[in-house]
Amino acid sequence: MSTKPKVSVYKLSSCAGCQLEFLNLEPVLLDVVGAIEFSYFPMARRRYEPGPYDIGFVEGAVTCGEEIEKLKKARQECRVLVALGSCACYGGLPSIKNWTPERVIVSRVYENPALVHSIKAYGIDEYVQIDAYLKGCPINKEELVEFIKGTLLGTRPYLRPHSVCVECKLNEYECISIIRREPCMGPVTTAGCGALCPSRGKACDGCRGPANDANAESLARTFSEYGLHRSDIVRRFRKFAGLTQEFSRGADAV
Amino acid sequence: MAVTKTSSVPDMVVLSGELWQELLKLVTAQYKVIGPVRRGSEHVFAPVKDPRVLDMAYVTTILPPKKVFHQPFQVLFSFDAEEGTLAEAESGEEKVVWGIHPCDMHAIAILDKVYGVEYPDPYYLRNRENTIIVAKNCTEIGEDCFCLSMGTGPALRSGYDLLLTDLGGRYLVEVGTAKGRKLLSGLDVPPAPRVVLVEKEKRLSQARQRFRKRMVTQGIQELLEENFRHPIWEELMRECLACGSCTMVCPTCFCYNVVDKMDLDLKTGRRQREWDSCMLLEYAQVALGQNFRRDRDARIKQRIYHKLLYYEPQFGTLGCVGCGRCIGACVKRIDITDVVSRLAESVESER
Repeated sequence: MSTKPKVSVYKLSSCAGCQLEFLNLEPVLLDVVGAIEFSYFPMARRRYEPGPYDIGFVEGAVTCGEEIEKLKKARQECRVLVALGSCACYGGLPSIKNWTPERVIVSRVYENPALVHSIKAYGIDEYVQIDAYLKGCPINKEELVEFIKGTLLGTRPYLRPHSVCVECKLNEYECISIIRREPCMGPVTTAGCGALCPSRGKACDGCRGPANDANAESLARTFSEYGLHRSDIVRRFRKFAGLTQEFSRGADAV
Repeated sequence: MAVTKTSSVPDMVVLSGELWQELLKLVTAQYKVIGPVRRGSEHVFAPVKDPRVLDMAYVTTILPPKKVFHQPFQVLFSFDAEEGTLAEAESGEEKVVWGIHPCDMHAIAILDKVYGVEYPDPYYLRNRENTIIVAKNCTEIGEDCFCLSMGTGPALRSGYDLLLTDLGGRYLVEVGTAKGRKLLSGLDVPPAPRVVLVEKEKRLSQARQRFRKRMVTQGIQELLEENFRHPIWEELMRECLACGSCTMVCPTCFCYNVVDKMDLDLKTGRRQREWDSCMLLEYAQVALGQNFRRDRDARIKQRIYHKLLYYEPQFGTLGCVGCGRCIGACVKRIDITDVVSRLAESVESER
């Protein structure tokens, strides 16, 4: 029996892109595997070891009753439970459907809606208490490793709580909002991605959800001045974290 | 500092065309040079190997040249927890920062007080000592510049190793220190006639006419003290995005956070510091989640009051040098000069 901390990775409604980031850690993956034991990780290992686990990562939004059951079981068998990615943190992309009646959404995809029993998409803290949020679509690998190291050491990992603008400035990326008047979500979005999109000349999409003290109403007014139609502003704020108090204020601002 | 003349380099020369290019070539060949280069439609201070990428006509940069001395990310030391050992980060090689404007030079003079007097900071001082500063007077004025009202530009009087002034196709180069003189030692040029100083003054007074922004600093302390409760702060609270950009780009902001970066063996790592900002909510958070500046208007006031009121007793100077970066970097165009003049106007209209 290994004495390494046991880790589990669960999947709810998601694209599996965040748990794939574990495997994309390739350059340091062997070091990570040297420090922890993936006891339950269906994407990577055929063999499962039973709980309890030291750290549980939950990927995906909750969109049906079975997932609530699965999530509650995960909470019971994990000492530390983590929301892995924006779907688990806020509902993420699946939560786009939340402002349309469920019957309309279902019938858009399925021939026989009677077979589908989905509910509105929520982040996992709607149902269970969690210990940490690893934001992003997908999560940031460096932040994931920082989190694992901090948890193993028993220290609080440094997860940037402030806006993406701080990282843009620290790296001196050209300001896409001011220079090009594009609707960049950076000023209200949590950093930790290294300002990835602005570094490639693209406006921040807000995938990491609201930053500390995000003033989404004010940013929505700026988007309006930039010529964005009301419906586009709503879409921008509801793309990843529309259920959060901060971004819902942005969606309702103009 | 005693100025010892190396060879026969004069105190003042005028360089144009080939000689100017030769100076740039000599300096970039001998030193690590950091100077203004284009990035998209903005400018940054960046390492320059080929002098042709230097853009001496730059108006401002995203981050101030402060970043060379007080670095955005600075490794303080590396450690091995198992062995119980520390290893100091190595000091960098001697370098030249080329083309610093007077506002940013005044900001560095303020940082010298912050990091050099009461609690000398070895990391800052080391970066400062191994750097040669080539400053440049401003003959072009940006739309957000207001150094003239702060007494920090557009002309520089001291603090430089070399000082450049663009005389239109040729540069006046003035020697400030022996370190600066050394940069010129490979050139064989005669001293400039005193009359070029007239030309220099003419260009600088033309520049003084071109300022579009000003800050009234007379009575500013009283103005701020008396208006701690004023409707403008609530208005700014609704507008401000709390993104922190204004403080990130400020040449006199000096706050930092310290973070340990552990390696995956969980035994070795590096202690690193990085810039922090009082505009960010987490800045004033203490144990158990208590926060001294939870409200956004409290943080906006902290920034403006610190620059314009609290620096004076701390460092004997205003904390704003009029570079205008905080205005240019604000998505909401919050303008510190506008805040001050609106406060002054409202006091005026009450009288």
